[in-house]
Amino acid sequence: MCKKGIYLVCDYPTKDSFFEAVRVCDDFNMDFLEIGFPFSDPVADGSIIESAAFDVLKKENVNNFIESTKEVKKLFRNKLYIMTYANIVFGCGMEKFAAAVGFVDGLIIADLPYIESRRLKNVLNKYGINLIHFVTPESSCADIDKIKKSSNDFIYFVSTRGITGGAFSLDDETRKKVIYTKQNSKNDVIVGFGIQNKDDIKEACRYADGVVIGTQAVKNLKSGDFYSFVRDLV
Amino acid sequence: MKRYFGEYGGQFVPETLMRALSELEEAFLNFKKNMDAKKELEYYQKNYAGRQTPLYYAKNLSSRIGCRVYLKREDLLHTGAHKLNNTLGQILLAKFMGKKRIIAETGAGQHGVATATAAALLGMECVVYMGKKDMERQSPNVERMKLLGAEVVSVEKGSMTLKSAINETLRDWVKNVQTTHYLLGSAVGPHPFPVIVKYFQEVIGKEARKQILKAESRLPDSVVACVGGGSNAIGIFSGFVKDSVDMIGVEAGGESLELGKHSATLTMGRPGILHGALSYLLQDEYGQVADVHSISAGLDYPGVGPEHSYLKDIGRVRYDACFDNEALEAFRLLSRLEGIIPALESSHAVGYVIKHSELFKDKLVLINLSGRGDKDLGIIASLEEKNV
Repeated sequence: MCKKGIYLVCDYPTKDSFFEAVRVCDDFNMDFLEIGFPFSDPVADGSIIESAAFDVLKKENVNNFIESTKEVKKLFRNKLYIMTYANIVFGCGMEKFAAAVGFVDGLIIADLPYIESRRLKNVLNKYGINLIHFVTPESSCADIDKIKKSSNDFIYFVSTRGITGGAFSLDDETRKKVIYTKQNSKNDVIVGFGIQNKDDIKEACRYADGVVIGTQAVKNLKSGDFYSFVRDLV
Repeated sequence: MKRYFGEYGGQFVPETLMRALSELEEAFLNFKKNMDAKKELEYYQKNYAGRQTPLYYAKNLSSRIGCRVYLKREDLLHTGAHKLNNTLGQILLAKFMGKKRIIAETGAGQHGVATATAAALLGMECVVYMGKKDMERQSPNVERMKLLGAEVVSVEKGSMTLKSAINETLRDWVKNVQTTHYLLGSAVGPHPFPVIVKYFQEVIGKEARKQILKAESRLPDSVVACVGGGSNAIGIFSGFVKDSVDMIGVEAGGESLELGKHSATLTMGRPGILHGALSYLLQDEYGQVADVHSISAGLDYPGVGPEHSYLKDIGRVRYDACFDNEALEAFRLLSRLEGIIPALESSHAVGYVIKHSELFKDKLVLINLSGRGDKDLGIIASLEEKNV
């Protein structure tokens, strides 16, 4: 099994081509979608996703993103997640935000490490939304154990030290961490950051349950090659 | 260690940085207990940086505005601002941790220069991120950093000021976390940075308290400091926080208090999360961080250190704003009256006292003169061309 997920920046490059991309992902039966809600200071993202976010922010706000994600829910049959930064959730009010996005499967917050997650998790639980936790090459086995225990959806394994859009590689130590994370885990372990093509997917899925592709998807959507890009992943 | 000041602070960073933050916390706790490290820091503070800095009674300014004003002369510290207190401390901490590469953000360039200086002193590789807009308006400091052997990286994204520089430094740190120490320059960021920066800046408050007691045989009525991220303010306030002394933090009111035209975070903002901490933040109603403005690059920042948010909420410190033109007036007045050219940042604290002189009438006022203004002459010259 090798699950495939695609990350898209909400409403980028235009609302129409964004929805068209969602349809393509549904046609090729992608296992999940992550919809990125742009934030003014995306410290975990490389320049491609960052500049896409800045483009969208010139004309839209979080209310537009929520409305568009409701449309996505109608167009895409598999699992649906929102990926954003802490202040988008906090700045809107955690309760208000959770109530507005109760239709998604989970939330991924790039700057919310496990240690700070309890407060948001309590709120999300009330609305049946899962909070996705990260494991990284820097995580200790003790941390990984805690994260495995408290996860009730997939675990996001950040493959490299760095930001989105880098090159993909799994060094020995990292591979061991992926294997450790998967051991006796009731949840899928999904590898992200740096996945670019079928070879990377194959390599990641030797150890993990799936991958998520972000920067390359955003890049290909912008250049108009999204359909063939997704087709070639299958 | 506590990660929060009341409800403010925390560690809102990508999971990849968590190990580095807990290693930093542990090393800092050991560093504080290590007598050799302490002695080494004291040696450099005294013989290299020029501590203690004087406390100066500003006679001419005092008689002009009708109160007794003392200036804590951090402008006389090596490199021209209080920033070196923190960079000397953190560079020794980095050495203690075995790190060889130092990265830093800078706004006005004072922290960048202080970092490059400390890195040169200890022979470490140093990279400083600086917004393109700030590189233009504080160009002498760019030259100084290069001369000191640092690589200065121009950040040409987002606001191209301090906020963008911090974003880019965080990105570098996530990539190079195993070898690199992030030498954060203000009392902001994820825990333990606000605690570490305060620890190294407390020397200002300790000295100032002793000096004013010696000079006046009593504590001041008010202590005033400018607040951008808040490192010089937290440093001087720490000396008086337990006394019944009125404390005022002065933020950059910019052109006006309309969102986008100022950097008065505590005066006008509401709690939010930026650069690793929950603290007051200038943001729009949708949680996007607002554009900010200040004539002073060092105050041009939408966030503020989490301890200041706490001190505001419990009512221990009062925060207010000083506008661009008031700071400029103070800049000129202090130069003329006392022969001291203050940094535009520090001019906000002086400007506040001048503007509200009736509040301070016959009172004993201590102002932290956090830096000197040579770096700002370019800004002043371009304003004079426009007759401001």
